[in-house]
Amino acid sequence: MSDKKRVSRRQFLNYTLTGVGGFMAAGMLAPMVRFAIDPVLQTQEGGDLKSVVSVDEITNEPQRFEWTINQVDAWYESEIQKTAWVYRNDNDEIIALSPICTHLGCTVDWASNEEYPNQFFCPCHAGRYTKDGVNVPGTPPTAPLPMFEHEVRDGMLYLGDAKSRKGA
Amino acid sequence: MRLSKTDVAQYLPEKEYIDTVIVPLIPFDPSSDTDLSKQAFLRELNQVFTNVIEKEYRGRIFLSPDYHYMSGSHASEIERVNQWISQFKQQPFEHVFLFTFDVKWKKHEQNLDGHLLWVPGIQTGNVQSTETQSFVKEQAREISEFIQSYW
Repeated sequence: MSDKKRVSRRQFLNYTLTGVGGFMAAGMLAPMVRFAIDPVLQTQEGGDLKSVVSVDEITNEPQRFEWTINQVDAWYESEIQKTAWVYRNDNDEIIALSPICTHLGCTVDWASNEEYPNQFFCPCHAGRYTKDGVNVPGTPPTAPLPMFEHEVRDGMLYLGDAKSRKGA
Repeated sequence: MRLSKTDVAQYLPEKEYIDTVIVPLIPFDPSSDTDLSKQAFLRELNQVFTNVIEKEYRGRIFLSPDYHYMSGSHASEIERVNQWISQFKQQPFEHVFLFTFDVKWKKHEQNLDGHLLWVPGIQTGNVQSTETQSFVKEQAREISEFIQSYW
């Protein structure tokens, strides 16, 4: 048995002390590091997609669907109702539009004005949008209706946040 | 629009577009137990209603803070209501609607400077129940059609 392989008492004590000290230091540092990078670890509230409707129910004609999400506002949590106009376009893609008028925030309706049967109509100031949600020039709104992020999973349509788009 | 900081900031530069105000008229009488529970329910119902209408038409309707008064004091309240209305009209709001479940206002309608929107409420119930919700939705649609006929 060679002496080199043997661990001396001094070395043994050194190793144990470093080991134990290391653990203690790590124990103190870990919560501090966690605290420092806390915002990175927060789960994204907005990115959540919610199941809204079965894909079979979506037609070429825009239909109004409602669902609820939990919204955390600084101090309290509330359940708010969201609404979307959903249809399939000519390329068989699903389009989900926000019903909030980009002018002053009224709720727009599909084909509610007899003169414009193929447009979204805002009852407040006669703002109009074509079927793809683009605002009709000459009416009060200056931007298209926001579009919801969407995903189809297991035959259900999931909707997320509404993304605003650039004006026409 | 409501009386909140963000809404008012949005309202002021866009005044010309927001020409309608709804004032909820809410009676209560703290001296009577039976009235109090009925009035509490109607107050909640009134808030649900005006919230639904405000949400749909927030770009044209301003929801005033609630106007509370002691039930049964209509004759003496008229002056105060009219004062609210005349102050709103200075903004200028063109259409002032008074939203209430209190039928006694009907008798004083011609003395009020705003349009009275009296809706027969429901006596008791639960604001969360599906019956109440469908009642509110249906009535709210009728009311907004009525308001739109003034635009």
